[in-house]
Amino acid sequence: MAGTPSFLRQALTIAAKDLRLEMRSRERLVSMLTFAVLVAVVFSFALDPTIRARGLAGAMLWVTILFAGMLGLGRSFSQEREQDTMTGILLAPLDRGALFFGKFLANLALLVALVLVVFPVYGLFFQLELWDAAGGLALVVGLAIVGFMALGTLFAAIAANTRLGETLLPILLIPLLLPVIIFAAGATQRLLIGRPLEEVMSSVRMLAAFDLIFIIVGALVFASVVEE
Amino acid sequence: MNAIVNTTENTRRWAAILSVLAAGVMLWAFWLIFFYAPTERTMGVVQRIFYVHVPSAWVAFLAFGIVALCSVGYLWLRDERLDAIALAAAELGIIFTSIVLVTGPLWGKIAWGAWWVWEPRLTLTLLLWFIYVGYFMVRNATENPERGKRFAAVVGIVGAVDIPLIHMSVQWFRSQHPQPVIMRPEGPSADREIVETLLVSLLAFTLTFFALLLYRYALERLRARVEESTYRASLEQPRTISNGAYTS
Repeated sequence: MAGTPSFLRQALTIAAKDLRLEMRSRERLVSMLTFAVLVAVVFSFALDPTIRARGLAGAMLWVTILFAGMLGLGRSFSQEREQDTMTGILLAPLDRGALFFGKFLANLALLVALVLVVFPVYGLFFQLELWDAAGGLALVVGLAIVGFMALGTLFAAIAANTRLGETLLPILLIPLLLPVIIFAAGATQRLLIGRPLEEVMSSVRMLAAFDLIFIIVGALVFASVVEE
Repeated sequence: MNAIVNTTENTRRWAAILSVLAAGVMLWAFWLIFFYAPTERTMGVVQRIFYVHVPSAWVAFLAFGIVALCSVGYLWLRDERLDAIALAAAELGIIFTSIVLVTGPLWGKIAWGAWWVWEPRLTLTLLLWFIYVGYFMVRNATENPERGKRFAAVVGIVGAVDIPLIHMSVQWFRSQHPQPVIMRPEGPSADREIVETLLVSLLAFTLTFFALLLYRYALERLRARVEESTYRASLEQPRTISNGAYTS
């Protein structure tokens, strides 16, 4: 189509809109971060002090990222619902796949910010050696949150348009996200106890494959979710 | 009113034929299970639950396949009939998945010594059950029924894409851990009697599934027709308007 911006440009416009709103209100990021740190505090006191947290850190980190991430996702379509701005967005000459991709990018940016805080906080609270494994962790966590946000954005759009709202999100998302959690938590744990990156390369490849599948499926079916 | 009932007459006739057939084969299967199939040497009589467990699992996954195909068709063609089939298949799917999840632990307690083990197939079935739950919750949680059908179809499609991934992941997860004391349900021996009994039982469950599917489909179509004609009738009723408020 002549005159209409490219797919990527459309997606970036949507993402920039969401991030600008977030920069001004900061409500989603602040609630996600506070929640994540509070979960870490709860873990510190719920665990027996004689247990070495290092062996459980992968599980704790992923439970935290999952729940804090869903907290943010639950609000990712609140503007569209409460102010009914979705009608305006849908009236714009915008590819539905680009709309999905834009929302996904904005959610991903928020989650990256969350992860960048969560890991040092856990490192501090539970004496984890993060620096040695930083490269591998960045790779594993980066790939895992891409898949998380791709499926999450799709189901957040669905949940936001139901009576149950964000309560429905975990019910739809967690069973389907299990493959990502299995590989991400396993690989994170291995890297944290000092195993070499080569050992988790099979997990990395699986996570990359899941990301690709979830993004493609999400972009394809998103049109059926937002149509009016 | 008769015109409404007539719309599903053909479907219900086929459903009746299938039910009779299913009942016959089911009786045959039960005779085989209790009198023909040999008692398994190590697991004993509890192994006979296998002839109910495996066909239920097959039907549960078959049902999700139908849900997924009809969901794709519904989003594409927007044919209400496809949605009705998907709904009927999903309702039966969750029932048969529940049967699998109940019969599995009953057998597992004796054969494995534990009610529940995170064995790949068990995990997959449990997650399938949760996906079905999500399917119904999303369907019933919208003000606009058309939107509910669309959302449910999306869940059906994404679920179908995801199920192989879940299967692969839980298998991989298992292989990372030492195997527990597992007596594989296939057992060491695959006697001819066992295979025959299983095949008849599979046929019986599949026929039962399709008979129930047709009945549920006909019922859903009838419900839609009744709703439509009630709506029409409500439009035709005279209304008296007074002081801006109206009563019907």
